Amino acid sequence: MIKKIHDMLVSKEASCTELTEKYLTEIENSNGELNAYVNVTPDAALAQAAKVDAKIASGEEIGMLEGVPMTLKDNISTKGIETTCCSKILTGYKPIYNATVWEKLERDGAVLLGKTNMDEFAMGSSSETSYFGGSANPFNTKHCAGGSSGGVASAVGGDIAAYGLGSDTGGSIRQPASFCGIVGLKPTYGAVSRYGLIAYASSLDQIGPITKTVEDAAIVYDAISDYDPKDSTSQGRIGAMSFDTVNNDIKGMRVGIAREYLDGVRDDVKEAVLGAVKVYESLGADVVYFDMPALKFALPVYYIIACAEASSNLGRYDGIRYGFKAEHYNGTHDMMCRTRSEGFGEEVKRRILLGTYVLSAGYYDAYYKKAQNLRGTIVKAFDDAFRNCDFILAPTVPMTAFEMGHAVSDPVETYLTDICTVPVNIAGLPAVSVPCGFNANGMPIGMQLIGNKFTEAKILNAARAYEKAAPENFKDTKWGVKL
Amino acid sequence: MVTKQDVENIAILSKLFVAEDELDNLTKQMQEIVSFADAINNAPDSGEEFDNINNLSNVFREDVVVPSLSAEEILKNAPEQGENHFLVRNHA
Repeated sequence: MIKKIHDMLVSKEASCTELTEKYLTEIENSNGELNAYVNVTPDAALAQAAKVDAKIASGEEIGMLEGVPMTLKDNISTKGIETTCCSKILTGYKPIYNATVWEKLERDGAVLLGKTNMDEFAMGSSSETSYFGGSANPFNTKHCAGGSSGGVASAVGGDIAAYGLGSDTGGSIRQPASFCGIVGLKPTYGAVSRYGLIAYASSLDQIGPITKTVEDAAIVYDAISDYDPKDSTSQGRIGAMSFDTVNNDIKGMRVGIAREYLDGVRDDVKEAVLGAVKVYESLGADVVYFDMPALKFALPVYYIIACAEASSNLGRYDGIRYGFKAEHYNGTHDMMCRTRSEGFGEEVKRRILLGTYVLSAGYYDAYYKKAQNLRGTIVKAFDDAFRNCDFILAPTVPMTAFEMGHAVSDPVETYLTDICTVPVNIAGLPAVSVPCGFNANGMPIGMQLIGNKFTEAKILNAARAYEKAAPENFKDTKWGVKL
Repeated sequence: MVTKQDVENIAILSKLFVAEDELDNLTKQMQEIVSFADAINNAPDSGEEFDNINNLSNVFREDVVVPSLSAEEILKNAPEQGENHFLVRNHA
């Protein structure tokens, strides 16, 4: 997709302005139903497109991402462009600096079409905790696009952005990518700078690409992965550029299947994932089966750690420095309580309360400390697993996209749907979700390839091999720009 | 067991108000979430300490002045400001 647009621009088949206008028109046509964008920025997009056109007209070479229309999740800071995390508490907030990822892509000449919808502060699995309502699935608008990066997935799946950046704390890139039949890469913790990403759970958060193809994910990952002195947990990309090796042969690669990942997974999803295992075998890969009993505890460990970190990170919203502030109050404590109670939605408040609970005296040892200890056990289990395989193949989500309204009705039941995605964040590993089939109702099914730290190139190579072998799983919808 | 009193206490620590009519439902939900988290109590304790999962170490830099944001920029998003300060009124 990205390369196709690049070639169109270079060969002057279409100008960047024409292309950008096409995307903006399609956003206008479909956003009422998809609710993918919460803020469209046509003026800035067209101004950037004109710059790219001038460059092409003067005979200068352009980069691969230059002039390609894209989007950012609304928790990635964009200087002067409203960034709300889809929360009432940040309405009107215009960052005074750029996130490093946007700084890099802007320098590369990307055309930002606008900011996309998400669960409030990235807390949710359907994008319906958003202050602006949920994003619809381009395959069937009665179903959600997933979450928390639901808006990016809906936009990319619906072809109203060529690609986008999301963030993944417990599956928020991979799950919506899986629900919308597209590709989502959660990079290794530290590979991509988090500077300017509005924090949810800092030891788990990671920015990554949501794209139509595996090749696109490799192109975008190469562009955004870098060491950043502004992020003290940054390590940058270790190893080769992933685009250079994405089309390599995968003969002899060892595919690991941890049986725990297939427990409790719906039959249609299991069947599709096991079908992919067969494809890998036919490509000359070896399959190894093993157990990872530590995964059983991943979900509670994740929710304890994520909520604990969130309760601390979200302490900054006090109505003093930015965002919403309660209109009437009596004293500063009252001002902060009113601001937060009126500004945060239900799910955010629940997670702040739970995080405060597990960190409070008397519960700290039983929950937070125990969860950190188990986190180490899970890390070790992955270390052991990667001695026997090159990557682990697993379902991304145990089911296909839920219907709108379903996820918000029962918090614990919704938490359970994250069971396959959270272990990767706990262990700081990279994983890419790739479409691997459709259920009887035509809703996409996704699988994830989980790699050891900094093996993005390897998992993208394996994902690309599958994509070439099973192209029928990568489908366009009725929406958006047709190139 | 999470009690209503627990929820009220945590809410104070979290600087959140819980309305009287939300308290029952929220206590029930908190109890459900905490029972779900209780699953970890059945996990065997590895006996090891894991403090640094992501292999982080302290990052130092030379103690030199580098450009930073101006006070004017920093105050841009403040709901109220005055005389180069964030303004917090006691009553409104």
